[in-house]
Amino acid sequence: MGSELLVKKLPNDIGGESAGKIERVEHELLPWEKRCHALADVLDFHKIINTEEKRRGVEALGSEMVGKLTYYERWIAAFANILFQKGILTPGELAVKMEEVERRWLASQQSAS
Amino acid sequence: MTDHGHDHDHDHPHEAITADERPGYYEIMETAVRELLVERKLFGADEIRRQIEVLDSRTPTLGAKVVARAWMDPAYKERLLENGRTACEELGITFYDDTQLIVLENTADVHNLIVCTLCSCYPRPVLGLPPDWYKLKPYRARAVHEPRAVLEEFGTHIPDDVEIRVSDSTAVIRYLVLPLRPAGTEALSEDELADLVTRDAMIGVIPVSYEKEAA
Repeated sequence: MGSELLVKKLPNDIGGESAGKIERVEHELLPWEKRCHALADVLDFHKIINTEEKRRGVEALGSEMVGKLTYYERWIAAFANILFQKGILTPGELAVKMEEVERRWLASQQSAS
Repeated sequence: MTDHGHDHDHDHPHEAITADERPGYYEIMETAVRELLVERKLFGADEIRRQIEVLDSRTPTLGAKVVARAWMDPAYKERLLENGRTACEELGITFYDDTQLIVLENTADVHNLIVCTLCSCYPRPVLGLPPDWYKLKPYRARAVHEPRAVLEEFGTHIPDDVEIRVSDSTAVIRYLVLPLRPAGTEALSEDELADLVTRDAMIGVIPVSYEKEAA
């Protein structure tokens, strides 16, 4: 198979490929997954990230990440990258905020015990 | 080769969610992104809460209501097939996004099936969120080139003389299948008909079935 197929068919473009049997799996969204979904909708309403940008953002994660991350993990990773590209957030700001969120959770554990 | 990547995250049971369970990396990222954007006043925290309520309010019962009305009222069915979105709005089903809805009517000669080969586009305003299998590779990859085999895996046999049409959703165009009304349902009320209509029938992977209850 020639490498040109990699150019013609991006990772999301799987229609027509062969694949395994359909397993009729479903799960209730975890609370954070539902928040992530609501975040996606709100980003779309405000024209910050639309559905197609989100889809391309997921595709741009590359096939390894697409294969290893869960559905909503891919979404939030894509949102972060798109927000960096648009200059709305910087990686540094996100890292600082993530530390703060984690510290807050640890503090809440200490005060609860 | 089967696709046994982490798409199958739902295969292993999730641990019980308790308030003190340490949030994972991506959950922390979600919280951080949301809080940063709220701090920047790009949207309000209340908008996320409101959208969660909207998502919770969307279930296949809405789509079932639309289908049952179309079965009962030929003029409504005509409007529904003409413009899915405005016909749903007529029944009070609001579209919270910019998507258009095309309703595909199953007949004795044509069976419709919907898919999103590129990702997971789905008629969310009328059906809620899609099941995981709809978002996973086997369904997305195979529905467009071997729909009969796919349908057999759902236990649905479509005779060879019935044409199968597969519609591939996009970010802005979504589809909903208007299933065949099952035989023997002439005496049922609209609400009783709606109770027969399932999510999977509106995706097109199974028919609507009706078994008269024994007296």
